[in-house]
Amino acid sequence: MANSTERPVAVYRINRAAFGISLFVALLLQISLPIKLPLARLFDFPLLLTIYYTSTRRSKVFGIVLGTALGLMQDALSHGLIGMFGIAKAVVGYLAASASVKFEMEQLGARYILTGFLVCLHALILVALRRLLFETAPPFIPLDLASTVIVNVALALLCFPLLDRFKHPA
Amino acid sequence: MLRVNPLETTQAHSPRAKEGPQVMQAFIIRHASFFTLVVVLLAQLLLLALQATSKHHVPLIKVWAVAAFDPFERSFRGLADGASGAWYSYHDLRQAERENIKLKQQLAEARARILQLSQDGAENERLRALLGLQQRLPLRTLGATVIAASPGGGSAIYIDKGMKDGLRTDLPVITPEGVVGKIIAVFNHTAQVLIITDGSSGVGSMLEKSGVQGVLKGGGDGVCHLDYIMNGEKVEVGDTVVTSGLDQIYPKGLLVGTVLKVSQGNIYKNITVKPAAPLDRLEDVLVILNSFQDKKDVQTFH
Repeated sequence: MANSTERPVAVYRINRAAFGISLFVALLLQISLPIKLPLARLFDFPLLLTIYYTSTRRSKVFGIVLGTALGLMQDALSHGLIGMFGIAKAVVGYLAASASVKFEMEQLGARYILTGFLVCLHALILVALRRLLFETAPPFIPLDLASTVIVNVALALLCFPLLDRFKHPA
Repeated sequence: MLRVNPLETTQAHSPRAKEGPQVMQAFIIRHASFFTLVVVLLAQLLLLALQATSKHHVPLIKVWAVAAFDPFERSFRGLADGASGAWYSYHDLRQAERENIKLKQQLAEARARILQLSQDGAENERLRALLGLQQRLPLRTLGATVIAASPGGGSAIYIDKGMKDGLRTDLPVITPEGVVGKIIAVFNHTAQVLIITDGSSGVGSMLEKSGVQGVLKGGGDGVCHLDYIMNGEKVEVGDTVVTSGLDQIYPKGLLVGTVLKVSQGNIYKNITVKPAAPLDRLEDVLVILNSFQDKKDVQTFH
């Protein structure tokens, strides 16, 4: 039985080919782009895809699975411990799906505010995990966090309309 | 023996006995996604903890992920390098094109400047020579610039000095190279000069080496003829011809030209003289103002 406080929401289907290719390209860009473009170190394509697809499908389990999978792949391709990005992105996927049920994600304002919030949360979870796991964790610099949020929201402004072309009402 | 009716047993547990598990089951179903999250997070935390404690190995997932992405990453990098190389080549080409245009402009400007400097240099040289001549001559002279050629096509020019500058007719006009001619008409600010090559021109002249005197007449074709030199006189090609001063116009000793051709005539030799002054490209000249008032001859003019 659906929760009475939750309003009926539109659920979208995602083109499978576009979905798979976008995930692959996101991971590829995540590891390749910073070599050529130093600013790209702030980009988090897998995070943006987690937010986008989860808020489109509006499924919490899907969000957890997608976030975990992308996060673990990102962990595997990075030099850090496996599970850091997995945990952060699993939480982000879950919250993105929860928020997409409660808020109208078709509105641009809500979409990008949520993106900014989740990018910020993702960064904070990573900071917390590093502090928890490592004795010499890198210092927390709020300006870096702000830069990350601004850059990724700007990136979302470019990517989300592009991805919107591949979704269809379920 | 007591037999238990299964139906009774079932009835004995329902419905209150069923309530607990059902509520729990409903709770779990209702919050399935949250429990999934918790399980996933715990699993990953456990994974992190295991990695943090063990230091000796690279997780298999890393090996697989790197192996899976490595060829694509290499291709992407190659593609990116190619694209950036093409972009930089294009950029360099555009820059080279812009530089080429700029350099062409600079070259054209430099050529114009060189030409200007060359002209300035030539003018400077001319004026220097003129000034040197003016200082060497024991005569009062006035510098003038040629402003026009005679429109009639004859061998005459106009200079930018005239009556207001103290000029009058029959004043000789010279350059550092040699005699040009004499003034034949004077206006307020200009004067007309008849050049020695004009057919109507005549200059009292002599051969410098022998001192034999004659009259230099214009040939009308860029050369002059030295007349009245007897056939018996010794004249050679290359001999220098100077003014004799007998015409009362040109002071004695001014260089006129050199002998170009010599041949025997009936009584007099036919002598062709090439003028020393560059009469076809005159620009700056000197007008001798008092050549025969001071009665001074020019001994060492050339």
